[in-house]
Amino acid sequence: MAIVSVRNVSKDYLLGKTVVPALRELTLEVQGGEFLSIAGPSGSGKTTLLNLIGCVDTPTAGSVEVDGQDTSRLSERKLTDLRLHRIGFIFQSFNLVAVLTVAQNVEFPLLLQGGLSSRERGRRVGALLEAVGIEAYARHRPSELSGGQRQRVAVARALVTRPALILADEPTANLDSKTGESVIDLMKEMNRRDGTTFIFSTHDPRVMAHASALVRIEDGRIVAREQGAAA
Amino acid sequence: MRSRIRAASVLLLIAFRNLFASRVRTAIVGGIIGLGAVLVVFGTAVVDSLNAGMARSIQGSLAGHLQLYRKDSPDPLQVYGGMMGSSRLEPIRDFAVVKRVVEAVPNVKAVVPMGIDRAFVSSGNVFDVALEKLRADARERLAALGPAGEVPAELDFRWRARKAHVRRMITLLHEELGEARKLVDVPPAERAERARQWADLERADSEEFWGAFDRDPLTGLEFLENRIAPLQADGGFMFIRYVGTDLAAFQGAFDRMKIVEGRPVPPGQRGILLGKFYAEEYLKLKHARRLDKIREAREHGRLIAKDEELQRWVKENSTQTRDILLQLDPAQAELAADALRRFLPSTEQDLGKLLPIFFRTDDATFDARYRFFYDRLAPLLQLYMFRVGDTITIKAAAKSGYMNAVNVKVYGLVAFEGLEKSNLASIFSIMDLQSFRDLYGWVTPEKEAEIAALKKEAGLSDLDRASAEAELFGSGAPAAPVVTHAGAIPDAPVRHERRARDADLFSRVYTQDEIDRGVVLNAAVLLGDPRRLKETRAALQAAVDRAGLPLTVIDWKEAAGSLGQYMTGLQFALYGSAFILFAIALVIMNNAMVMAMLQRVKEIGTMRAVGAQRRFVLLMSLVESIAIGLAFGVAGALVGAALVLGVRLAGGFPTTNDQLQFLFSGPTLLPRLGGGGFAVALTIVVAVSIASGIYPAILATRITPLEAMQSED
Repeated sequence: MAIVSVRNVSKDYLLGKTVVPALRELTLEVQGGEFLSIAGPSGSGKTTLLNLIGCVDTPTAGSVEVDGQDTSRLSERKLTDLRLHRIGFIFQSFNLVAVLTVAQNVEFPLLLQGGLSSRERGRRVGALLEAVGIEAYARHRPSELSGGQRQRVAVARALVTRPALILADEPTANLDSKTGESVIDLMKEMNRRDGTTFIFSTHDPRVMAHASALVRIEDGRIVAREQGAAA
Repeated sequence: MRSRIRAASVLLLIAFRNLFASRVRTAIVGGIIGLGAVLVVFGTAVVDSLNAGMARSIQGSLAGHLQLYRKDSPDPLQVYGGMMGSSRLEPIRDFAVVKRVVEAVPNVKAVVPMGIDRAFVSSGNVFDVALEKLRADARERLAALGPAGEVPAELDFRWRARKAHVRRMITLLHEELGEARKLVDVPPAERAERARQWADLERADSEEFWGAFDRDPLTGLEFLENRIAPLQADGGFMFIRYVGTDLAAFQGAFDRMKIVEGRPVPPGQRGILLGKFYAEEYLKLKHARRLDKIREAREHGRLIAKDEELQRWVKENSTQTRDILLQLDPAQAELAADALRRFLPSTEQDLGKLLPIFFRTDDATFDARYRFFYDRLAPLLQLYMFRVGDTITIKAAAKSGYMNAVNVKVYGLVAFEGLEKSNLASIFSIMDLQSFRDLYGWVTPEKEAEIAALKKEAGLSDLDRASAEAELFGSGAPAAPVVTHAGAIPDAPVRHERRARDADLFSRVYTQDEIDRGVVLNAAVLLGDPRRLKETRAALQAAVDRAGLPLTVIDWKEAAGSLGQYMTGLQFALYGSAFILFAIALVIMNNAMVMAMLQRVKEIGTMRAVGAQRRFVLLMSLVESIAIGLAFGVAGALVGAALVLGVRLAGGFPTTNDQLQFLFSGPTLLPRLGGGGFAVALTIVVAVSIASGIYPAILATRITPLEAMQSED
């Protein structure tokens, strides 16, 4: 079953008075449990595509369905709810809340969700921190952690709500290659363990190599969809 | 629900951690808020008690709660007088009517008729005083005269001392005018007059005049009174501010009034109670007054050595000793000189030289000399120009333009509690209403008819003012007999006649009806419940309107005139400065919060991306502003409260001058913490912090999750 279904989507940006097309009638289906890499040179539309899938942006034309819901029919509130409950985000520059501890950062989406008891939240956060290997830093502030460690926290935060889909825009761009690879390995491991769908963009061939499927984009169009080396 | 609370707590956590993370910003913003709260709490405490004190002073001294006066008056009523002196008011012809209407209005406790005015009181000169004593002795001597023309030794001794005193005064005057004659060029028109004056003085200072004096003392006295006393320059008129009123009603209504010396004017009778402050400031012997002032200043920590004003007073005291010399007859002068020689000590014989030495005091000698003055010298002197029991002559320009004069007996000295040193309240003397009416010169229609009849009988025509002046003073020829205006007392009456009339007038008891029926200028209204002032004012205005009385009702604050405005101004100044401070605080806080928000665009975008609703972001931003506002606002308010308590414990703000004493309604101002000031401060502070947080909070909600996606550059 397709967890993401992008059909004939176009997205134009207005740059001054000129219309710049970022995506041109792009169609893509992502199946649940995939570990999909979107590759392409910068400016090819990778980020735009991820933003549309992540419900933080809306297409100029075409439709985006996430988890069976047509995002163009949802209100801003509903989109936020969809993000909160079904989608996890991993950012290029980690984007942790500076004034919260590692554990509090991970717990944050659960607090927004509500519903879980404090003990349950604690257990879930603890397990995830252990899973990403930074349980020792639970009470530290993000500024006390290295880049790789921060991205691990971000991965844990993305996973904590047990979303159906995790989006990661260039998750390794700010990391050295070795750390980057270890983060990708972690993501892959989580993908295998829980069956969470991952879609991440990259232009690093070594990162692409980990993907189970690869979509190449150029000038807002998919130029190739291939099974990855790791499939 | 529990996780809602948890979400709220994470919101607080984030807000507080953010505040803590940017300490400098928080300190600046919080400092401004805190300062504002201090100012508001402390300021309102001061202004509140100032207001309450002033209200008490004004209401309890002259103004009452409401005042009534004729609405067609050229000036608004200002009971304490304005910049231009007393208010010019149209007369209310019959107070009884007003009283009836006003007393029927609910919540009115009392209505007190008033006529506030300024007049002159003839200060009488030292000659007059000495001659008066001499005349009394002369009469006593004539009465005690034995068949062989011998008098009791004691009386004779006093008689000779008094004569010597007058003689000495004449000699001093003779010398002085002699000096003046050498210096001043007399205009031709005045030469004849001056020559006559000089001749009179030569005669009064001659041996043959005094040699003949005892044979016919009354004729001699008349010459001295009419020809010599007027040459003494210092005798003149002094201003007096008075309230003509129904004395009994006044005393009942104004609880701050107290009689500090003497007794109340007997019910229904004529009389005056002099303002204590007025008596001290204007009627007291200048030397004594200056000594009092120096003493008071020294008690407030000022030193003669360091204070130019005190040095000036010391200098005035030591150079202007003539007032004292003139008061003493030779026997008294010798007593004083002797005491001074032993006290100083000095071998100087002349009192005129001893006094300057005595008065040239410094900080070391002042206290002892002050005591000596009051213990030894004061009993020889007349310390006050008038004393309780004296009868004084008050003159005023009546409505008609004539000078009217009344004689009133001084029954006592009056002050307003808490305002004893106020030159605004305690400078007022309080006089009976009949004397006021005589001075005011209001002529009732009946009286007018009577005067017209009298004139007709006498075959006189009314003189207009301009020609009257020419007739009276212009030509040498005596003018036709002049009608003295009704109610006026001739300027220079024969004294014993005046006495007889005075006695008659002074013992007369007026009925309440006589007091009520007649002219007043305004009326003070006191209320049973002052809190219902506004509605009573409206009811009163409606009542006088209904009754067809052309009166306007004003509240005490308006009636206090410039004083009331001063009070309002003070309030405005405080609220104005608080407003400006908070406006600045608002701008700074707003700016700081916006800056802080812009620094966190990515963080907020991330929160939005991971599922935070706009409401969450809005609240988070507001919580920060409110937290700063509350924390520092409360702290500031507490500091302000502590400051107020500190000032109270230290005994309040001392008054440094008489104006302040009036404002403070007492010798010190004790600021008091009403719940009001505190609550107002907190409300304002929180309102300002919310207001300053609203714009950045709205900005925060506009941050889209897309912001989180931007790569860090």
